[in-house]
Amino acid sequence: MYTQYIDMHSDIVISQSDSRPMYLQIMEQIKQRVAVGEWAAGEEIPSIRQLAVALRVSVITIKRAYLELEREGVIVTQQGKGSIVAPNPDLSPRLYDEEFSRHLEKVAELGELLGLSSEEIARRTREASRRMNQASRTKENV
Amino acid sequence: MNYSMVKSLVLKDWYFQRKAILLCLGGGIASLAIVAFGGKVGFYLGLVLLITILIVIAATVVMGTLVGERDNQTLAFVMSLPISFRDYTAAKMLVNLLIFIPFWLVLTAGSLGLVLAAPPIRGLFAFTVIMAVEILVSTCLMIAVALVTESKGWTTSAMIAGNLALDVVGYMVAHIPGIGNGMFGPVVHWRPAATVSLIVEFALIALMLGGAFFIQSRKREFI
Amino acid sequence: MNELSVQFDGVCKRYAHFALEDIHLELPTGSIMGFIGANGAGKSTTIRILMGLVHQDKGSVQVLGHPMPAEQAAAKFDIGFVSEDMRLYGAATLAWHMDFLKPIYPRWDAAYAEVLARRFDLKPEQRIKGLSHGQRVKAALLLALARRPRLLVLDEPTTGLDPVARVEVLGELMAALADEERTILFSSHNTLDVEQISDQITFIDRGRIIDSDDKETFLDRWRRLRLVLPPDVAVPHLPGVVEVGGSGRLPVLTTNCFEPAMVSVCNELGATVQAVDTMTLEEIFLANVHSRRERVTA
Repeated sequence: MYTQYIDMHSDIVISQSDSRPMYLQIMEQIKQRVAVGEWAAGEEIPSIRQLAVALRVSVITIKRAYLELEREGVIVTQQGKGSIVAPNPDLSPRLYDEEFSRHLEKVAELGELLGLSSEEIARRTREASRRMNQASRTKENV
Repeated sequence: MNYSMVKSLVLKDWYFQRKAILLCLGGGIASLAIVAFGGKVGFYLGLVLLITILIVIAATVVMGTLVGERDNQTLAFVMSLPISFRDYTAAKMLVNLLIFIPFWLVLTAGSLGLVLAAPPIRGLFAFTVIMAVEILVSTCLMIAVALVTESKGWTTSAMIAGNLALDVVGYMVAHIPGIGNGMFGPVVHWRPAATVSLIVEFALIALMLGGAFFIQSRKREFI
Repeated sequence: MNELSVQFDGVCKRYAHFALEDIHLELPTGSIMGFIGANGAGKSTTIRILMGLVHQDKGSVQVLGHPMPAEQAAAKFDIGFVSEDMRLYGAATLAWHMDFLKPIYPRWDAAYAEVLARRFDLKPEQRIKGLSHGQRVKAALLLALARRPRLLVLDEPTTGLDPVARVEVLGELMAALADEERTILFSSHNTLDVEQISDQITFIDRGRIIDSDDKETFLDRWRRLRLVLPPDVAVPHLPGVVEVGGSGRLPVLTTNCFEPAMVSVCNELGATVQAVDTMTLEEIFLANVHSRRERVTA
C-alpha cells in the first residue's frame, strides 16, 4: 500500500511508510551523509528548490528541514548563494545520541507490550551490551 | 476581440468538418451536373438532391461545431485557450456561415440561372429568390438555437421547425398577390411585395444572429 | 511581480441545489496549493470561477493580476488548465494538438514537449481516441506544461492514473516549479499526493473553505492524544479539541492546535497520556469535515 519514492538524481530516499514527518526524515538523511563524509564539510549542497524537485517533496518541507539543520549548525545558508555543509559540523555525537534515544523508546514500548518490568528491560539491555562488547573484542583479536 | 484566435478557432472547425464539406461538395457538383444534363427528370431530381445536400451540410456542420463541443467534452479545452466568450461565439457563427453560404450561393445562383434560362418559368424568379433566402433564414435559426442551447434536442427541433416553416412560408408567399401573380409566366417581375419580403427575411436573420450573440454574452456559465 | 498568483475575496455562487459561500483564497507565486474536498464540495466550481468559465455572483477574483472573468482571455495566455472532465479532439492526433497550440502561446517549448512525450511514453502520431485514460490525462498535461505557463490549474490531475504514471506526473509538476515564478493549484482526492508535494493546503466542504494553511503547520497543529483515565477523572478540557473518540476510560482526543504543554496539562489533571499520534493529511481532513458537519447538525 505504501510506496517508496526513489529518485535517480538523488541518493536521498523518502519512505512513505515511515510515520515521522518528512522534514525529519530528510534532516536525518542529510545528517547521515554529512556524518559519513559523503557530503563533505564546506561543500555546496542542492538549493531548496533543487532538492524539492529531485525528491518530489514540497518546497516548504525542504525549507523547514534546511532551517532546522542550520539551527543545529549542520549547514550554513549564504544569502543569495545557496547552502553549504558547515565547515565543522558537530553532529556525530548528536546524530548517534538521537538515534540511541529513539531506539530506547522503542525498547520501552516493546517491553511494555510484552509485559516486562523496568528491571527486566534493564537486565536484558545490560546483557545485550555485554554481548556487543564481547563480539567487538573477539573481532579485534582476530 | 482577438482576431487571430477567432481565425485559429475557425480553421480548427474547418479541419474537423473537412470530410463533410468534401462529401457535400462532391455531391453538390454531381447534382448540378444532373440538373444541367439530366433532362426533365434530371432537372427535378438534381434540384431535390441539391436542396438535400444543403440541408445535410447545414445540419452536419451545426451539430458538429456547436453541439459537438459539449457532447464530446472538448468545450473545456477550447475555453482554456486565451479567448473570451465573445471570441468563441464569433468564431462559431463565422465558421457555420462561411461553410454554409458558399453552398447556398451555388444553389441559389444555379436555380436562378435555370429559372432565367428557361422562358416558361421566368416568372418564378422573385419566388425563387425569396425562398432561397428563406432557406438561409431557417439555417440561421438552427445556428442561433444550437449556439445558445448546445443541445441536440433543441437544435433538431429548430431544424424541423425551419423545414416546416419553409413549406408554410412557401405557400404563403406564393399567395401574396405581388409575388404569386405571374409566377408561372414567362416574364420576370419584381414588385414591392418582393422587396418587403426580402427585407423581413434579412431582418429576421439579423435578429436571430444578433439575439444569439447577445444571449451568449450574458451567459454566466460557459461550462 | 505579483506576490499572489490567485486571490479570491468573498466569492459566492448560487446554483439551484448548491452554493459556494464566501470563498477566500490566496495563492502565493512560486508555491503549490493542494485543494482537498469531497465530491460535490465545490472544488470544480471554484476552479471554473478561477478560469473565468463561470461568473461569480459576488466577490472579486484576481488571477495573475487580471480580474476575472473580465480579463480571462489575457489571463489564459499564462495558464495551463487540465480538468478531469476535459477531453481532447478524439479524431486528431497529439501532434495536431501540439501544432494547434504552438502559434497561440508565445512561450511554447517544442523541445520540452518532445521530452515530455518521451517521458510520458506518448506517441505524437497516435490519435487521441486510441489512447487509454491515463495516456489521455498525460497528453492533456503535456499540452498544458509545454506552453510554459506561469500558473497551472489542475482539477484531479492524478485521478485514474496507475502508480507509475502518478509518480511521473508528480515529478513533472515539481520540475515545473523549479522556476520560482511558477505556481500550481491542483485539486485532488488523493491526500497522499497532496501531502507530499503541496506547500499550501486548503480544505473545502459543502461550498465553504473550512481550513487553509501551509502544510507543515497543518501537520504540526493536529494530533491525536490517547489518554488513560482513572475512574474518577473526567475528560480534560483542552483547546482545539474537535473530536473525542475511544471509550469512557480510554478517550482519544483529536486537537487542531497541539502544544507540547498539553501533555503536562493532562498529567496534572490526572490523565495519563499514553501516546501523542501525528495524523496524516487524510485523517486531518476527515476529522475536520466530520467535526464541522456535526456542529452544523447539532
